Parts: sequence; structure tokens; C-alpha cells
Amino acid sequence: MASFEVVNYSLRPGKTIQRQIIFDGVRALQQHLELKHLIYVGFGSIWFTDFVLAHKLLGVDDMFSIESDDIGYCRAKFNSPYATVRVYHGLSSAVLSTLYNDDLVRRRPWMVWLDYDYEFDETVRDDVRSLIENVPANSIVLITFNGKDAKYGDASDRPRRIRHVFGDVAPDDLLKDQCREGRMQETLANLALDFMKSMAAELRRPGGFVPAFRIIYKDTTPMVTVGGILPTKGAVKIAMDAVSAPNWCCFPEKPVVAPHLTLREAVTLQSQLPRTEKLSRDIVKSLGFDLEEEQIEAFQRYYRMYPAFAQIVA
Amino acid sequence: MVVVGADKKALANPTKAFFVNMITRDITLEDCILDLIDNSVDGAWRCEGSLPMGLAVTADLSKYSIMISASPDGFSIKDNCGGMTFDDAANHAFSFGRHADQRQDAYSIGVYGIGMKRAVFKLGADIYIRSTYREPDATRQTFAVPIAVPDWLKNDAPPWDFDIVEAEALADDGVEIVVTGLTPGAFASFDSPAFLQNLRRTIARDYTLHLNRGLKIVVNDIEVPGWPIELRQSAEFAPMRIEYSDHQDGLDVKVEVIGGMSAPPPESADPDEEDDGEKRFGWYVVCNGRIVLAADKTNMSGWGTEDWPQWHRQYSGFVGFVLFTAANAVALPLTTTKRSVDTTSEIYRRARRHMREVSKEWIHYTNVRKQALEEAKQKEAAAAAVPIYAVTPQSSVKLPILTSRPVQRLANVNYSVSIAKMRKLARAFGDINLPYREVGLSSFNYAYDDMVGEE
Repeated sequence: MASFEVVNYSLRPGKTIQRQIIFDGVRALQQHLELKHLIYVGFGSIWFTDFVLAHKLLGVDDMFSIESDDIGYCRAKFNSPYATVRVYHGLSSAVLSTLYNDDLVRRRPWMVWLDYDYEFDETVRDDVRSLIENVPANSIVLITFNGKDAKYGDASDRPRRIRHVFGDVAPDDLLKDQCREGRMQETLANLALDFMKSMAAELRRPGGFVPAFRIIYKDTTPMVTVGGILPTKGAVKIAMDAVSAPNWCCFPEKPVVAPHLTLREAVTLQSQLPRTEKLSRDIVKSLGFDLEEEQIEAFQRYYRMYPAFAQIVA
Repeated sequence: MVVVGADKKALANPTKAFFVNMITRDITLEDCILDLIDNSVDGAWRCEGSLPMGLAVTADLSKYSIMISASPDGFSIKDNCGGMTFDDAANHAFSFGRHADQRQDAYSIGVYGIGMKRAVFKLGADIYIRSTYREPDATRQTFAVPIAVPDWLKNDAPPWDFDIVEAEALADDGVEIVVTGLTPGAFASFDSPAFLQNLRRTIARDYTLHLNRGLKIVVNDIEVPGWPIELRQSAEFAPMRIEYSDHQDGLDVKVEVIGGMSAPPPESADPDEEDDGEKRFGWYVVCNGRIVLAADKTNMSGWGTEDWPQWHRQYSGFVGFVLFTAANAVALPLTTTKRSVDTTSEIYRRARRHMREVSKEWIHYTNVRKQALEEAKQKEAAAAAVPIYAVTPQSSVKLPILTSRPVQRLANVNYSVSIAKMRKLARAFGDINLPYREVGLSSFNYAYDDMVGEE
């Protein structure tokens, strides 16, 4: 097989699909909520993939990227994709404090997506608290963090670690079983959303926090993305109706685990879709190759969002 | 010109709005919910024959349940604890304050007659209270009291009363209260998962004596388990457990005082270190079976008063219970909120003497043990946990006598590192939750062994 036909492993189809789901969701919210003049805040890194989507899909112009690493900052400035992207050098806690007081953005709704490589820890918790306290009304807050169970300690230590980092929302009787493997990501997603809701209630945000996003995805390591809307009081019902509509796609029941396919495989499967019946394993075999049932199901569900590029490796 | 005469009067009529405002102001939402639970618990005790609620009593409350539902859409509490009679509703339960001739349930906790009203007004604007009960001839009766608060507030002219209407019977004899049109405070709180978890924790702690007797309390479909209250006992550790009779305003009160080690003292007394368990230590004051002051470390229970040191983390591990039981709740050392102790109460002050004795013994022990840590830890590990009901009577607390070693001069080290690095090193030493001090000590010992080697 020619190496150029292999989809580069580093493109992370799970992450790509998850990102597309989120942005599709926010685009749907733009039909319902007062999100004109939306600004985007995130960790653009040197790739700015989410920034490109924010600009193209959501029509966002003013965007702010946070980069703490010295060399990363230099490269980020160089790679900044659009004239209206501002790159800030520093830790998220410090940069966010600056942005809250920035006249350009403090009265406009934010879409802020902090995509951490690492696990939910005290720094993530503090950032979440800070965002919920300070972002303007109708903002959308998202975080992504590492959900791998081992990142939270050895099996017997994990419940205590989780209770420590999530505080009051974590039940006192959290079981070891709830902190293992697949259940760990579910536990983390639920507690993170509970934490955000509790923060908004404690800080008496008039519209509270409406959970809107909850996606577990996995390429090499399981990741958790959660988030929601901090609406004005008057927009609460609109927000809740939008996220409880049957076509709201940001609460997938199963984790997004997308098979790594060659370009030929992806194109061949795609040619069978869309279809109302399930794409069966027999059909796949008749097409000339084979995949696990879950992989076929995932492809059928998410084929529209698959990364559609190849990279010449050799 | 103002003419003053016998017929000139300054109006002093109360308004309903003022009353509602005053009674709801100084009590928290959580405490209001506990007031409603108290009423249900009193109902259960009434059904069981109004027994005194000391520790030695073996009453079984497993027939009784209290179901609570709290969400931004509304609040409800429903029990099967016998219900409120029509007579109670018509003449007592809805008046603000108790009439002089009103019957006081023996060994109940409600004293000031405002718990239910205060709670429902604090919760919301549309209230529906329904009761099903049995008459003496065993016929079942049901009635309801609907209250639309905004409408009720409009007319201040006496009499202040509420309609009692017919209603469909509840499945079990009991009371159901449903509140919708929540107040902003109730709405925000019930929307907060943290508030609901804390409510569960408070119920688990404050009603532990009832829950351990079988009472079932369910919040949003999840049953609340009682906290197990245990003290450690061995040949060298024996909690104090005494009992005596006292009097307040001519009324009899039984007092029990129990105190001792519930868990070994902490490794580190540093205030920076967090310890989940610290929430459980300190003094508990119980009135007619209900914990009114829990895990207290303040001067309310005596710490920091009358040659009794202020609480310090070093004293963690200590649990003390002082239980007051009286047929007439007026004799109990309660504040109006029932969430705190009336420290001016004579019977409470007299009990404080015993509380101080056992606390000071414990404080002395934790000081002495610093000089003989290994020996202390061994003895502490050998003491077995015993449920509080089963603690043997003992006139004063018994704690080990330790052989202190000569004190070495020590160097104290204090430095800061990133939390992420601290956690990673804690993990490498075997436990991601290892306290910072332990990680520091372990890393010092590790480097010392590696680079110096000698003892």
C-alpha cells in the first residue's frame, strides 16, 4: 500500500469529529441566542484549527489565543491565521484576567474553549471558576481535559483525588469502580458539568449555567469535553429548549472512537452513505475489507465529519 | 396644629409582608428543609409512642420514610409519619407562635411553632400542604391547606388564616408539602449540584442517630446513609461516657456526655494540609435525638474559653457527644433556628464542665504524643472502633501514658513548588493524595539516603 494513502495518525479523527460536533452545535445556537459579535478565546497552539473553524463556520472575527511556552508563543504569532487573531503570552489564569477587562471584549459574548492536554486539576478548576464568574452573558464555556484513569492516581487513590479536586459536588461515597477505564470518563464528565452548574449558582449568575456539551472521545488517550451556556435570565428557556431539541448533537451517548482508516477505505465506505439501514459488516466485507462492528457504526454516524485529508509521508 | 387626645393612636398593626420577611431572613434554606424533616421525624416518634430519645433507646424507625425532591421546578417533601390532624391544622400548626394552652408533644423538637411556616415561605410562592391521618376511631381523614403567597400577602386585616380544603387521600398516613414558584434563592440553590450534595451531607450528619435506627430519608431518589459514629476502645483507650439528670426551669432533663478518640490524630498539624476527615471531629450537641450542633470546634462548644484552648488541627480525631433529652423541648438548650445551641442555658453550661474535662485530657494527650510518636501510633492502631451506642460507661476518659523521648532540635523546611509537580512526585512515592508535608519528608529522606547514606 502506498504510504501516501494512509491518513496521518497524528490527525486524530476522534478529536476532529468532536471539534466539528461542537462547532456545529454553536452554529445552531447562533440561530437562537443573541450571539452577534461573538469572540473566540482558546489555546490556538501553532495550528489554530479551532480558530479557523470559528472564523469560517461561525463568522467570528476577533479571536484570542493563549500560549504559555516561550518558543510556542513565537511560533504562534508567526502562524496566526488571520489579521484579527491576537496571541497572548502567559498562563491562562493571568491572560483571562486581562481579557475580562479588555474593552473590546468585555461586553460581547465569548466562545471560550480551553483545551488542556492534561487532567482536570486545581489549575483547570480555578480557570473554570474564573470563567464562570467573569465572562459576559450569553457566553459559551468549554473545556477539554485528559480523562485517562491513571492520570488521577492509582486505583485505590482515585476517588479521594477526584473528591479533592472537584470539592463538594463529588459524592462522599464515590466508588473505585466509578473511577476506572470507561466509567472514569463518564464520572469526570458528569462531575465537571456539575461543578460548572454549581459555580454559576454559587456566584448567582442570573441565568445560571445550561449544560450543552458533553463529549468523550479517544484517539490514543480518552479525552473529555464539557461545556455549556451562561445565558441572560431572559434567554434561559431558549437555551434549554435548544439543547434539549431532538436534533441537538452535542450529547452523544457513546464516546467518539473513530477508526483510523486509509483514504481508500474511507472513500469506499463513504460511497455507501448516507443510508437509513445500518451499514453492516457483511457489506464492508463485500466491499473488499473488514472492520469491527463498533468501528463501522462510528464511521456511519460521523462520516460527514471525518478528516478528509492525506499526507505524503514518504 | 396637632391635637393630642385620648382618641389619638399610633398604628402598630403588623403586616404579613413584614412577618414573612422577618421569619425567613435569618435562617438558611438548608436549615428550613431540616425544619420540615424535624416535623416528619417528630411525627414518627409520635407514632412510636413519644419515647425519650437517648442513646440507650432501641426504638426502630425502619417503618418510616421521608422523600424529598428538590429541583428548579419545585420542592416537595412527603412522609409516612402519621400525618397532621385537622385540629392541629385548624388551631396550631399554621399560627405564628405557640398558644399558651397548646399541647407540646413529649420529646419533640419543635418549640417555637414557626418551623413549617418559615420553611414554606422561604421556599416559594405556591404552597400545597396535604395531610392524611387516622382519627381515634381509625377512620382516615384527609385535608389540604393551599397557600398562594402573593394573594395572601395582599390583605393584612385579621384574622390571619388559611383555607382548609378537601383533598384526595395520600397513599400512607402522613404529610406532603409541595412548593412551586420557587423564590430566587431556592431556585438557584436547587439548580446547584453542590448545594444538593451538601444537603445530603448535612442530613447524613444531623440525622445520623435516626438514620442508624432505620429511618429512611431520600433526596432526589437517592437514599441518604447515616454517618457511622464510632469511638475507639481498647485496654488503653476508653471514651468517657456518663449520664446524669438535671433540671431547667423546673423541667427534667437527662444529660449524657460521651467523648474520646474517633480516629488517630493527624500526621501533620500544618494548617495548609487538607483533611477530609476534619469535618467530623469536635463536639456534637444533640437535643431530643437531633444533632443541633455538629462537629463544632468553636467557642460555642467551649474551645477557646475558660482555660480550654482553641481548636487546632492537632486535636483532630476527637469526637464528643452531649445529649439532652427532655419531655418538654422548652427545657432544651436550643436557639430559635434549632440549628445552634443557646450557650446561656444553665444545663448546657453545667454540661460544659464535663465537656471541658474530656477535651483537655485529649489536648494533653496530643501534646505528649508528639514526643513519643511511634509508641502512640502503635497504641492508637490497636484501638477498635465501637459504635457510639455500645461505648462502655466510664466516668472519665482513659488515654495511654506515653514515655516521652528527649526532644531533638529540629530544622523546619518551608518551600513552594508547582501543584502539578507535587502531585506527580506524590504519585511516584505511591499515593497521589499524599499530603504535601509527607512528600517533602519523603523526598528529603530519599535524597538523604542517596547522597549521605548514614543514619
